[in-house]
Parts: sequence; C-alpha cells; structure tokens
Amino acid sequence: MTQFGTYVNTARRSLQEHDRRYSLRQVAKRIGVEPGYLSKIERGQVAPPSEAATVRLAKELDQDPDVLLALGGKVSSDLQEVIRKRPRLFAQLIRELRDAPDHAVLRIVREVRDGDW
Amino acid sequence: MITLEHDRLVFRFPEVHKDARCAIEFQRTLRIPDDGLDYPLPPGMGRFPLRHLDDYARRLPTDWLRRGGVLMPMHQAEAMWINFDCGGYPFAVKVATGKVCALTGETWMNHLNTDPQDYAVLPEQPWLDGYCVAQGIVRQFVAMPLGQGYTVEEQLTDEAEHGGLQLIAYPMKAERYEEMISMSATDAPTDYGVAYGPIKSEPMGLAPGGRMRQEIYDDDYGLDAWDQRHASRCFVTIANSVQWMALTGERPPTEPPTASAYASAGLPWFDYFGGDLTATAETDKLRGISSVAEIGATNGESPLPENESAEVDRVISLRRPGSNQVREMSADVPSTS
Repeated sequence: MTQFGTYVNTARRSLQEHDRRYSLRQVAKRIGVEPGYLSKIERGQVAPPSEAATVRLAKELDQDPDVLLALGGKVSSDLQEVIRKRPRLFAQLIRELRDAPDHAVLRIVREVRDGDW
Repeated sequence: MITLEHDRLVFRFPEVHKDARCAIEFQRTLRIPDDGLDYPLPPGMGRFPLRHLDDYARRLPTDWLRRGGVLMPMHQAEAMWINFDCGGYPFAVKVATGKVCALTGETWMNHLNTDPQDYAVLPEQPWLDGYCVAQGIVRQFVAMPLGQGYTVEEQLTDEAEHGGLQLIAYPMKAERYEEMISMSATDAPTDYGVAYGPIKSEPMGLAPGGRMRQEIYDDDYGLDAWDQRHASRCFVTIANSVQWMALTGERPPTEPPTASAYASAGLPWFDYFGGDLTATAETDKLRGISSVAEIGATNGESPLPENESAEVDRVISLRRPGSNQVREMSADVPSTS
C-alpha cells in the first residue's frame, strides 16, 4: 500500500463502520470512478488519481483536500496559481517556514477579525 | 484565534492546549415544512461559502464592517444547520442570531450561563439545526430579511438591528482535558492536518421555521470545566443572493430541493440519539416565539414558497458523536435548477 492508499482506505472504512453508504462501490460511484479503480488506489496498485478526483474523494470522506493532495504528491491548482503570481516572495516564505513549528506558522496565518458588536 | 479554512471557521487555542481545536461550518439543507408537524433531521448538502468580511471593505456599509467576522450568502427562506467538529477536545459553544441566544432567547452575553444553560457542549452536540422551542424540539434556522418582523431578534427585542449569526467558543480547561484523557481510552483528536458598487445595509437575519426532533444536551462536565479566560468569537453576516453577488462577484449556491420533492425521491432523513445524555428544557422566551408561517398567516403573507408537508418514509438513525459526514447528501438529490 502507498501512504495515499492507506490513508484513503482507513478513512473510508472508518466511515463505513457506521454507515453502509461508505462501501467502496458507493463511494466510487459518488466520486465518479470505477469501483475497481478505487480499490486499486486504496491498495496502492495505481498512482493517486487526478487533482479533481482527489478533491472529490477528500470531500466525500470529510478529509482536508490539501492533505490528501499532498499525500498524492500534488499541490492544488489554486495554490500553484498563488505562487505563480508572486513566485519569489512565496518561495522564500515557504522555505523560511520549512522547519518552523506549527505555532510559529499559525502566527502568520490570517485570522478572522473580531470587531465591535 | 479563528481562521477560515475551506469554508469552515477553525477555532484554535494553542495557548490552552495543542489539541484545543474546533471547526464550525454552516450546512446547506432543505427547508422542512413549517406545518406544525415534527420532522426528523434533514440532510446536509454541502457547506455555505464563507469569506473574510474585510476583503470587501470598500463596498460594505460601515456597520457591517465594524463587526468584523465573515460573510455568508443565503437565499430568502433558505435553511441551514450548524456542524460542530472538535475531534475529541471538549468545547462549550454559544450560538446567537441577531444577538439573541438560540438556546435560551436571552440577549447576547460574552460568558457562559447555566441557569438556563445557554451553550452547546461538544463533542456531545454534533449539530444545531435551530431554536430550542421545547425539550427535544427545535425550530429550523430560516433566513429572512430584517425589518419584516419574522426574525427571532425582532420577535424578542422589537429591534431589527443586528441580524446574522454570532458564535463564541470556549475550550475545556487543559488540566480537565488531560485528566479526562488519562482516565479513559478516548481517541485523541485527529490532526487536520461584479456589480461591485456599495451595497445597501439591510442584512439577513434568522427566523424560526418548521419543527424537528433534536435534543440540546445538558452540560455533564459542569461550568467549572470551561476555560472562560480564553474564548474566540465571530460575527457571521448573512448577505442575500443579490448582495453576495455584488460584493464577491460569485454566484451563491443553488437553492436546495423542497422537502416534499426530497422525501418523494425516497432520500433519507436522520435521527440522532445521544445515549444517556439528557436534553435541556426550553425557556419561556423561546417557547413563545412564532414560526415564519404563523407570522405570515397573521399578516396575510406567504413568506415560505413550497411549504407543502412531506411524507417521510426513510429515516436513518445515527448514534456516533461528532459525525459530520454521515448527515451529508452530496449526490442523488433532486435539484431545483
């Protein structure tokens, strides 16, 4: 199994324990792929699917699309677009934050502003 | 701190505990009939989009901008429910509409109260669909314009000032959480990993719609469990579809199917059982509110289109706390568009 396949298989089976709609066949149908293909993905016998299919799969399994894309060796198109607009700045930023602890990264994440109400 | 991630409000309290994290989202759903009958829980049909209010500062009325928070689109008479996901870290969350508490009908206060209990306890409370109008019964959150007398804010305060929806989240005290997980084998929380002119200042509010079966659970942890020194709050301004398009240039999501069309298609409704948990009783204030259909009938208006009763044949019983996916119906639903 690949890390991607294991992750998807674990998430789907966890949901299936409580809800039969998360059978391999039904999940495959809802995300628009063949059951056999999803089975191979989960067993790591084929490469992770396209970005669009991965995002559909993430939503179906209530997983973070960015996490699932990263496990599949991909970066979402919208993030690529963000980097392409200011490549030098974002490349520098990401490299500088590479080994920063989570709390340090969170300090520069945009917060929802609370106002006067 | 609150961040906006994939149309979810994510509350984090790293200064309290590394696991103190709670995500709150607003689910699109069908509007249950406002016909006096008690319905099961309707499905989730995906998250409402959320945007930072500040991104549209130049076009916003000053009173909207002053409140901060996020912007969310809803069609008039559209319904929604609130999904809570805190992993395993307990939270106390207060929910108000128009600065009136959805559980008690009291005006907004920045602290927790227990008599009556004015907050939901997570993860025991996975969802909140409406106003607690009787023990085990809520009236669905339905978007209506402010100024027409339908919203709970107008019914209980005689003012049409705030609208929108307000949230404040308090994490459990770190020492209580550590004590709790050391005494049990509870799973640790998972790591989550162009019209463009100024718009008019009438936001949407939330009003009570049809009745459904949902219990609001008593706080078994006790008031002392919550870290009231640390809290984060958010004002969710609700824009109607015209305002949303003018501000963001995006189309709002399409309106969900009617309850009767959904039920006729044999698609599932839901019930949730909290096991041994006890349900809070309603307050006098919320027991006395009128539904949108009732006010419309008094005024000679028909504010809820397609309000026919629904024959519910298929109900799925859920028992798993913290579930947010199993109530969603992303496929196979009849569409109105």
